[in-house]
Amino acid sequence: MIYAVFAPLVMTLLIPFFNKWKDKIHTGWFLLPIPLFIFLYFVQFIGEGFSPVAESYQWIPSLNISIDFYLDGLSLLFVLLISGIGTLVLLYSIYYLHKSERLGHFYIYLFIFMSSMLGVVLSDNVYVLYTFWEFTSISSFLLIGFWHYRERSRYGALKSMLITVFGGLSLFAGIVTLTYITGTTSIQEMINQKDIIIDSPLFPLILIFIILGAFTKSAQFPFHIWLPDAMEAPTPVSAYLHSATMVKAGIFLIARFSPILAGEPMFFIIVSLFGIITLCWGSYMAVRQTDLKGILAFSTISQLGMIMAMLGFGTKAAIFAAVFHILNHATFKGSLFMIAGIVDHETGSRDIRKLGGLMTFMPISATLALFGVFSMAGFPLPFLNGFYSKEMFFEASLHLDGYGGQFIPFFQQAIPYLAVFGSIFTFVYSMYFFFGTFRGEAKMGELPKKPHEAPIGMLISPFILVLGVILIGLFPNLVNGTFIAHSAEAIYGSAVEKDIYFWHGLTYPPLIMSIIVVVLGTLLALTRQKWAGIYTIFPRNLSFNEVYNYIVDKTETASTKITNKYMTGSLRHYVLYILIAILVVSGVVFFLTNGFAIDTSGLSTLKLSDVPDILVGLTMAIAAIGTIFTNNRLSAIIILGVVGYGLAILFVIYRAPDLALTQLIVETVTVAIFLLCFYHLPDLKKIKEKPSITLTNSIISIGFGALMTIIAISAHSSKWFEPISNYFLETSKPLGGGYNVVNVILVDMRGLDTLFEITVLGIAALAIYGMIKLRRDKEAK
Amino acid sequence: MSNLAIIPIIIPLLCGIIAIFFHKYVKAVRLFSQVMSIINLGVVLWIGWLVLQNGTITLATGGWEAPYGIIIVADPLAMLLVITSNIIGTACVFYAQSSLSKKQEQFYFYTFYFLLISGVSGAFLTGDLFNLFVFYEVLLMASYGLIVLGGERIQLRESLKYVLLNLFSSMLFVTTIAYLYSVVGTINMAQIADRVQQVDQTGILTTIGMLLFFVFATKGAIFPLYYWLPKSYIVPNPVVSALFGALLTKVGIYSIIRTFSLIFVHETNITHDLFLWLAGFTMVFGAIGALSTNNVKLIIAYNIIPAVGFMLMGIGLLSQDGLAGSVYYLLHDMIIKAVLFLLIGALVYVAGTSDLTKMKGIIHHYPFLGWLFFLAALVLAGIPPFSGFIGKILLIQGGVEQGQIMLVVVGLGSSLLILLSMMRIFMRCFWGEKEELNGGLKPIRSFTWPAAFLLIFSVLLGVGAEWVYPYVEIIANDLLDPSIYIDSVLKE
Repeated sequence: MIYAVFAPLVMTLLIPFFNKWKDKIHTGWFLLPIPLFIFLYFVQFIGEGFSPVAESYQWIPSLNISIDFYLDGLSLLFVLLISGIGTLVLLYSIYYLHKSERLGHFYIYLFIFMSSMLGVVLSDNVYVLYTFWEFTSISSFLLIGFWHYRERSRYGALKSMLITVFGGLSLFAGIVTLTYITGTTSIQEMINQKDIIIDSPLFPLILIFIILGAFTKSAQFPFHIWLPDAMEAPTPVSAYLHSATMVKAGIFLIARFSPILAGEPMFFIIVSLFGIITLCWGSYMAVRQTDLKGILAFSTISQLGMIMAMLGFGTKAAIFAAVFHILNHATFKGSLFMIAGIVDHETGSRDIRKLGGLMTFMPISATLALFGVFSMAGFPLPFLNGFYSKEMFFEASLHLDGYGGQFIPFFQQAIPYLAVFGSIFTFVYSMYFFFGTFRGEAKMGELPKKPHEAPIGMLISPFILVLGVILIGLFPNLVNGTFIAHSAEAIYGSAVEKDIYFWHGLTYPPLIMSIIVVVLGTLLALTRQKWAGIYTIFPRNLSFNEVYNYIVDKTETASTKITNKYMTGSLRHYVLYILIAILVVSGVVFFLTNGFAIDTSGLSTLKLSDVPDILVGLTMAIAAIGTIFTNNRLSAIIILGVVGYGLAILFVIYRAPDLALTQLIVETVTVAIFLLCFYHLPDLKKIKEKPSITLTNSIISIGFGALMTIIAISAHSSKWFEPISNYFLETSKPLGGGYNVVNVILVDMRGLDTLFEITVLGIAALAIYGMIKLRRDKEAK
Repeated sequence: MSNLAIIPIIIPLLCGIIAIFFHKYVKAVRLFSQVMSIINLGVVLWIGWLVLQNGTITLATGGWEAPYGIIIVADPLAMLLVITSNIIGTACVFYAQSSLSKKQEQFYFYTFYFLLISGVSGAFLTGDLFNLFVFYEVLLMASYGLIVLGGERIQLRESLKYVLLNLFSSMLFVTTIAYLYSVVGTINMAQIADRVQQVDQTGILTTIGMLLFFVFATKGAIFPLYYWLPKSYIVPNPVVSALFGALLTKVGIYSIIRTFSLIFVHETNITHDLFLWLAGFTMVFGAIGALSTNNVKLIIAYNIIPAVGFMLMGIGLLSQDGLAGSVYYLLHDMIIKAVLFLLIGALVYVAGTSDLTKMKGIIHHYPFLGWLFFLAALVLAGIPPFSGFIGKILLIQGGVEQGQIMLVVVGLGSSLLILLSMMRIFMRCFWGEKEELNGGLKPIRSFTWPAAFLLIFSVLLGVGAEWVYPYVEIIANDLLDPSIYIDSVLKE
């Protein structure tokens, strides 16, 4: 199984080589066997007696991340879709994409996607699933942006990425939480611990996280907005990723976690409510579209909503219908996308207002579309698979599990009506799609190309899919027991057996619902021009696109505003903010921890001989304050010098002649250098500021000084341990060989410090020399 | 007890000094630096291997035993960081030859580079608080040298702010050491930890700890102290930005990890809870900053900040997963920030501008550069299976374990914003119509290969997490139990 999953990924390494011959042989031909082999490999699992298969490989065992593949009925359904539709799409793309396109890139992205999607549906390990999940988003991003010189493509690519990665991150939060609660990273083991999960206080959170992941990926209302814009991708991609496979990853996710989540009232409400809304909204909006692919995009949204709703119902019948519809939708929608691509390819336009009457030019395409469209509309004919699952959907909407509470019973009453409402519009847009394109008047003048039938190669894939539509319709039990039932079982948790009939009798309520849909749908379709004005009333220009655009714009404009507000570039402001932060936080911590301590026992009593010390100290303090109030650099630096020399005098008084000497030299040199530099500087100007600013600034400065002083006093008063300096005093002579302890510390005990302090000075000298020299050289030039 | 512990500090120190003597001979000094950086990388790999296999190596410098002398402590955490620094350094040295002008190379770039590495390694390895201050001075002084290299007007303006703010925090650093020494009577970190524990971090100690945090937070660019960072990191040459972005802020983070897992761990409901708040703000404001500008270099520089938030989150959680996440994220972030600065340097070089509204379609001319950038963007955003993801799993898991759901949501949300900021560069600069470039195609192989070399490590740290993570797990375990560090230093 691991070979099947990674084969496309490994193949991407070879694509650049195949691409060298692309002028002679279309790159797609080399690649066609890969999905076909994968498909054939998985076909062998189909059968009545299928039971799940597991495979396991070590990856990061210390984080419980291992590549565990688990092929059950649900995965089997999806891998067959991915590889089967993948083969057909690849074949189709060979005719669709001209050799002058960047084929290498296209197939690399497509194959990355194929591997990732297979990985998503086969992984049992949540982190591996998530990894593949993100890669489907990324490959989708690259594919939508395939023609990245188009503005719309870039817009669509970013939109799909932001929304699906947003969901991905939410899913990530969900699985981390699940892992934390259950202590396992395997989905199957999580299912075994269902009770622990449901009883956890974190359960609602998990539910929301996972549902967000699924809804964004499967384009559920209100996250559906990315899917129409994703239609900028080449049509094979739309057929593959954005209708048959990737957008069903969200459905898959809900189905995968159904054994844990289903049966919870919250799950029922959220999933079926949003599913139904999506169904109605998508089909209602599809009628408004003028782009063929736009109609199909909204149709996909609506169909996904329907499947999602059925998973939300969670009953045996609903789940069976959901699985059946996943398969059916892939067949008819895949073929319709390909037909739309053919129309685009052969006429040069996808605008339904310019199209019409193509039946005579493209009879084969039109026939194929006919089957696809009526299957999608759920027209009651025995050879249309779409009808079966639609009818099951109606049936399921009538028989829901009982839940308590106020809202749920009311909502359950409404579901069948909403289902019919959505289906009516499904019928309308289906007819609109077919008759608008193939019947009516031909408007040859408005088309860029003269329409003619597509080459046979392009028709093979839609033909095979339509064949699927008919065969499943005629012989539903061909797929029923062999794998639909297995798939439903994997979701429901226990065996699901159901016979699929065409005819249940005239009074069978779902049939009546279907007939209502057909009758009202036909009426509405015929009178579409008359009521189309309703869209200007509702939704008018209201759209979630506006919300998205607003948010994305704001990330730029608002963040600029916020950032420019505090990143002023002024050093004074930065220092101010930093001081405030330190002052407030340290001050609060100081109070919270009762930091204050004062101990006066170590202080000496005042004697007459102390007068010089006090005088020097006072002079220093006055001088330090004085520097703030001078407007003249020269006097400021001289006053500052007073502080330094005062310190030297203090050293003398306290009998540290070496320190005093050092201090004197440093001070003299600094003052001299300052004076030299200041000769070249402009005069210091008095900065005029509002009194309020001056006041806050002084409060902050004084506060900061006070805080540092208080901490110093407290630290001084909390000498709780014997300092290591005593050791230095004792060992200076015997071990260090010197009477001057400071010297021994500098050159021996802490020689490393000194070595690197010297290095610091050396670097400073080099840096200044280098800077001046380089500037000089530049100016000389 | 072995001299090996100090070798990663000494080799670059000597190299830097030797390089001064023939600085005018560009080819010679370049070759010397390239060879020596590889040799040094080999040596630290070997020492690192020994440490990971046999445990911490300590050295009492000058034979003055702990706690009196300066102790160098080569423990697994420090060695992993030293190795990572040297990997990045080596890539940068090879990048420098084409990114810098001959004059800049002549005027001591390589000396400053080696001394920067020496200072950074020293800061990782030292077990002495004052010595840590000294190594901070070394690496800061080397960084001052690097930031003004070239002497452009804007460089001087921004570096002045950089120097002054760092000077301020250095002053605060040394003052705080004095306060701490007054209370506990020692500057050996192990002994400080031991003594703080004996008095249960009472009284003034927590406040002193907070001051120390602010010192490191200024270097580490944590909210609300990062103002100096973005603009000063974009003025020097890209190779210097890469070194800064990869190494400097991370030393601050490392110091916070060290001090707040070893020393100040007895009032966590004050200190570490505050860290969680600051982590959240750092992520949000950093990500917002990254979206606020059209200057591609500045976008990368702002992206340093949210990453710091992630690492701080792990420290705040102070749990096995949290600390392991911080350490893993630290390794990841050092590499990926270097990669991004190197790539953006190449981008600006070929486009001739750093304004993203003035570029488009670069990928048509430089596909390799474009895809490297795309991959780097995914790594940065924490997309699996690359390095950022492993750290993120651990941090998010740590957050969930302690019920910090809000912070988890903020963290993931800022990941999305980070991705958006990266995609803006990718879509506006690389995607778009093909345009003739003014100046024609330039050879950029010597720009892309060092970046690609580093990117391999990003991929390996993710895909091959099993080779690294077990050590990080042990490191986190050791960090949670201060007595392990204390014993390894004091009871030899």
